[in-house]
Amino acid sequence: MAFCTGCSLLCDDIEVDFQGGKIKKTMNLCRKGHAHYDSLGVDRLAPAVDGSSVGIDEAVSAAAEVLAGAENVLLFGWGNSTLAAQGAGVKLAKKLGCVIDDPSSYSQGLITEKILAGDFPTCTFDDVRNFADVSIYWGDDPSSSHPRHMSRFSYFPRGEKRQRGYEEDREAIVIDVRKSPTAQIAADGFFKILPGGDGEFMEALMATLGGKIPKVEDKKKMLNLGTKLRKAKFGVIFTGPGLAHSLGGDLAGFASLVGRLNELTRFSVIPSLSDYNSRGFNQTLFDKTGHVNGVSFKNGVDHGPEFGIAKYLDACDAVMVVGSDPAAVLPGTLAKKLAKVPMVAVNSFKNLTTDIAKVTVPTAVAGLEVGGSALRADGLRVEFDAFVESDYLPDVEVVERMMEAV
Amino acid sequence: MVSVMEIYQLLPKTNCKKCGLPTCMAFAVGLLGREKTIEDCTPLLEEAKYEKKLEGLRELLAPILSADATETGMIIHDEKCYGCGNCVVACPVNVANDPKGTAIGRGPVSGKAILMVEDGVVKCVNVDECRRFGPNKVLCSACIVTCPSKAIEFI
Amino acid sequence: MAGKAEVTVITYRGIFQEVEEALGMYSEGYRDQSALVVLDKGEVKELGVEDGQPVILENGFGKVVVTAKLSEDPHPGVAFMPSSPWSAQLASGEVGEDGILDLKRFRAQVSKANEAVTTIEEIGERIRAA
Ligand code: SF4
Ligand code: SF4
Ligand code: SF4
Repeated sequence: MAFCTGCSLLCDDIEVDFQGGKIKKTMNLCRKGHAHYDSLGVDRLAPAVDGSSVGIDEAVSAAAEVLAGAENVLLFGWGNSTLAAQGAGVKLAKKLGCVIDDPSSYSQGLITEKILAGDFPTCTFDDVRNFADVSIYWGDDPSSSHPRHMSRFSYFPRGEKRQRGYEEDREAIVIDVRKSPTAQIAADGFFKILPGGDGEFMEALMATLGGKIPKVEDKKKMLNLGTKLRKAKFGVIFTGPGLAHSLGGDLAGFASLVGRLNELTRFSVIPSLSDYNSRGFNQTLFDKTGHVNGVSFKNGVDHGPEFGIAKYLDACDAVMVVGSDPAAVLPGTLAKKLAKVPMVAVNSFKNLTTDIAKVTVPTAVAGLEVGGSALRADGLRVEFDAFVESDYLPDVEVVERMMEAV
Repeated sequence: MVSVMEIYQLLPKTNCKKCGLPTCMAFAVGLLGREKTIEDCTPLLEEAKYEKKLEGLRELLAPILSADATETGMIIHDEKCYGCGNCVVACPVNVANDPKGTAIGRGPVSGKAILMVEDGVVKCVNVDECRRFGPNKVLCSACIVTCPSKAIEFI
Repeated sequence: MAGKAEVTVITYRGIFQEVEEALGMYSEGYRDQSALVVLDKGEVKELGVEDGQPVILENGFGKVVVTAKLSEDPHPGVAFMPSSPWSAQLASGEVGEDGILDLKRFRAQVSKANEAVTTIEEIGERIRAA
């Protein structure tokens, strides 16, 4: 049995036949997970300084030099790092008195923070499988991003109180701007909204739950939804990037909806996080500082949007990106800013960010070449072993060696 | 999806009964269900005037008769499959045969599952267990309606 | 012929794009799955845009050439695009007060292109350029 670190579901029932450095056969890996395993030999990163290859030790010392020589350092990424490496990363940030952040600062962080702080009720995926009768996918298309989400937990499997599976025991509701593959499955449970129309939909739903007639085109469908939610025994809302980006920083409407649903019945919130251990980073930093992202250790602990990558790029004079590709994801104008900052990139694979880095430090692929632990999107801690040998350094060792060197 | 009417249009429509069935319509149903083969309709093969029809019928039925289709007529379009396992977990035969594996959302553990995900795409084994198979077949569609990408088709 | 249409672009992730990304983001497969935009067929007919042909997408933030996919289902004024380095070139670089970026939605103009689809290397060069 092996684990898959292809997404934050961290599937644990994987069988792999690995021979001579190649995948021979896999069982139970979805297509995305299979590609993750299959790419082990593709585009691997090599240690380099200013474009010339060097030994790994030299790369690590050069990296430490970049960080130690700067005033305002940003340590960014961490979603594809083991819990141990994340913990070491927070320590390194403290030691350097610098800023540490992850992609959640410009996307889903506020929702995750509310879950970790206990403001939004939550539950595990196993609870979902055993008890949930209504699954709401909001701005979320797990069929594409977390392919086994619906089959392992949220819609199709039988569970303790859900013996009849999806046909009679479960409802899938999809709220999205397009008919995604997940919406395709939900059929009549699909609510198409206009781009940016999430807030409006929330208001209409709140009105419906308050016994009023909603101001929407299809009143009957909305009233039906209200009844379904009110009657739910165990509801779950899966929040995707679509919802987070549409709401921006204003979670008030969503918070009152979650509150209202919990007055009527029981509704949990679980974020659909992309990187395999995004939740782990948010939790690690939260445990240390009370915040899930954007923390500065310059004077004690400071937190705020000014310490998120999008804004801090204006202030920082060195950046270390770990297991992430902000150059590919950030708007082009911000990626250009990133390219001007002296950068260390720590990753298993090459990407647009490692391409623009001054120093590159390769690491082993967690879950395949090195063991470790991580938090699933629902917060459950899983431990995994390596199943193939590798000469690459584990990510935690790279961060620890830098800590010694700075 | 090939329909009975499409097949019927390409038959002699004489109800000659040489195929052993009372009508050409019944023979069309038989062809679709693969209980009959084109060769059972001797006039179609022997009479020159049906040459065009025979050609059309062979073309129409080619996917049904191809090696890709399992005995139930299931075609899996590998290139479309996500490997999500929805069909695997929803299939009533898997649920009954593999209660500790696929029924609860995991990979199969009993060796009796008929759908499973191998190398990132779905695969059908033990096809004779499928509800669409054999004399008591029912029109199960659990593996079609649960699929996000229409990767499974029956012909 | 030549004209431009203004659309709201919504980005999304597709599994085949994720697969190609895992298998190597410098590959043609990744470009085929990422450098594309789904347009409303009826809406872009007058622009001379054809299915599978390159189109220019541009706005105040940037410009890319991607492959047009024309959809039969009408979605006037809206276009869909995989979120990728290509879509990022057009996403707004304005940072909200709360630090959140709108990577999922932006306005852009579409027009027929007489040039090849932008490569990932070109995007890399643009990012590095002074
Ligand atoms: S769902 Fe995610 S963790 Fe599970 S096999 Fe697919 S990629 Fe891997
Ligand atoms: S038709 Fe029904 S029994 Fe046959 S494989 Fe599909 S889901 Fe299973
Ligand atoms: S056939 Fe469809 S439902 Fe089954 S694994 Fe493939 S994509 Fe999923």
